[in-house]
Amino acid sequence: MTGKFKATCVAAVLGVTAVSASAEEFTIGLSNGWVGSEWRTQMIAEAEEAAKAWADKGVTVTTQVQSANVDVPGQIAHVRNFISQGVDAIIINPNSPTAFDPVFAEAADAGILVIATDAEVSSPDAIYVGIDQKGWAEMSARWLAETLEGKGTVVAINGVAGHPANEMRVAGYQEVFGEFPDIEIVNEVNGNWDQAQGQQAMQNILATYPDIDGVWVQDGMAAGAWRAMQDAGRDDIYATGEIRKDFIDIWSENKLKSGASVNPPGVMASALNVAVNMLQGKKLKEPATAGVYGNALYLPIPFISDENLSEASQALEGQPGYTSFTSELSIGDATALFE
Amino acid sequence: MTHRSLLRTMPPYLPVLIILICMFALNGLAEPNSLSAYAIKGLVSTYLALMFLAVGQTIVIFAADIDLSVGAILGLVNVTVVSLMQALGDTPGAILLSMLLAVGVGAACGALNGVLVVILRLQAIVATFATSVLFLGLALWVMPVAGTPAPRLFWRTFGGRIMGIPFAYFVLAALLVLIFLLARSRFIQRLLTVGDDQLAAFQTGLPVTSIRVRGYIMCGVFAAFAGLCITGDTASGDPNVGGLITLNSVAAAVLGGAALSGGVGTLFGSVLGALVIGLVGSLVFFLGTPSEWQNLVQGLTVLAALMVGILFSGRARA
Repeated sequence: MTGKFKATCVAAVLGVTAVSASAEEFTIGLSNGWVGSEWRTQMIAEAEEAAKAWADKGVTVTTQVQSANVDVPGQIAHVRNFISQGVDAIIINPNSPTAFDPVFAEAADAGILVIATDAEVSSPDAIYVGIDQKGWAEMSARWLAETLEGKGTVVAINGVAGHPANEMRVAGYQEVFGEFPDIEIVNEVNGNWDQAQGQQAMQNILATYPDIDGVWVQDGMAAGAWRAMQDAGRDDIYATGEIRKDFIDIWSENKLKSGASVNPPGVMASALNVAVNMLQGKKLKEPATAGVYGNALYLPIPFISDENLSEASQALEGQPGYTSFTSELSIGDATALFE
Repeated sequence: MTHRSLLRTMPPYLPVLIILICMFALNGLAEPNSLSAYAIKGLVSTYLALMFLAVGQTIVIFAADIDLSVGAILGLVNVTVVSLMQALGDTPGAILLSMLLAVGVGAACGALNGVLVVILRLQAIVATFATSVLFLGLALWVMPVAGTPAPRLFWRTFGGRIMGIPFAYFVLAALLVLIFLLARSRFIQRLLTVGDDQLAAFQTGLPVTSIRVRGYIMCGVFAAFAGLCITGDTASGDPNVGGLITLNSVAAAVLGGAALSGGVGTLFGSVLGALVIGLVGSLVFFLGTPSEWQNLVQGLTVLAALMVGILFSGRARA
């Protein structure tokens, strides 16, 4: 074991020296604070692949990954470990929008670039590269409202109350449904982003409101909700869907009345491609100033509906059932954002 | 000195102290920078909250009780103190008043737990799990979405230095003094007596009910201190901040030598246990564990540490 430790030390030391020797070698720390879904695993795997792809451009990008179920202090420790290690950039899928302000300031003081992805952060020392969660919800809510031709009763099954991404999504669909005076939201329940809870919530909803026309439901909970609807033999309800291969297969086979906004697991890979450009000293053409915190660079949000369902199906052909439909900024796309 | 008498005379926190030293050594071998002044200060300020929480947890564990709501109390205190500072202003007086009120909130939560478990005789595990949901609900009512910033003065002080020494070290010193005094207090001795044999304690005339309730109140107060630390390190309110920390506080207490069956343990051991938990996470990373194995290795390392503790003390504990 000692040999391995030494090897690690040597590698770390070499890594640091190499970075100072050449501007085209970067070490990027990836931090993920929750491992409860395959989406996160895919997110990291795609980011690691994106790092390797830079070799073709003559840039060596080494990734260091910290991924475990941690509380906020645990993820603050991730960031501090990266600072101790002397990485060039940190890309984080943060467990809290606000709790990292002081530690990101520490990273910035150490000259480290910090990019958050998947969930926005309030820190002025970081930028956000990912999708607009509110826009994500608006897209599928608009699909639902328009499919219902602007009238009917709908219910919403939400994620974790108080979670910032959830609150942004709730604001998004409420705003869209508000534009349609004949669409009535009869109930909103929390399913905590859990497939089983989504299924149970849907069973309760079907029992309480047998006459509903539409369901707005997020992520993996959609698979649960759809199972409850299929069990009850309700093929008259329109509901939003999700982006995993398992669901897309069921959707294609049963011709479900569904549409799904895509939060692609490739967001971290996109953030990495942006990060490398920044580490090369380039400047964004349009500075990252979007979002509630004024530090966001929003990525395009794909949408899967009946029109392009077969393409999504093809893209996932041969993958395991838990694989999510993905998209990312390629190196070229990311580089095009810079001067 | 025979093996047996050596075991009897060694301080109960010796195993965890040895584990902690090993952890530091392993971290240092794997990543020399993990022993830098910056890293040590970072470790202390990151895990101050867990240290306070572990001490609070240990106090109820002494009496063979448990409190699964400490993380939720921490979250409630976090959003309360941030909201209060927002409302009262960011003068030093207002900040101190907010902190004082927040500690009151923690004590009130602890008192509710005490009443439910000790007076109404609900099972501690279930009752405090239920109150954790209640406290989380309250926290969401106080602050529906994470985000309100804490006053700059507050978190700059916590993250800053006084006379060149990081403020976190002063908090740590205060915690150690507090533990030193508590460990010698009649209150802690009585809690241990109750935990050792509740019936016997009752028969000798100890006010068992009041002692256990006060244990819960004290635990709530320590959870509030932990909440203040986390507010200092995160500079904002987040109702969900206490998510996973509760079980870490139990693990830290047990690593530190406390027995869940009560009557055994030291507060100092739990502080060391909290640091071990913190260092395990770092070690797993610095060893270069692939991301998909990090949770597993972390779990195995904590298990190994627990087993080492049991081997040292020469008996298995509940």
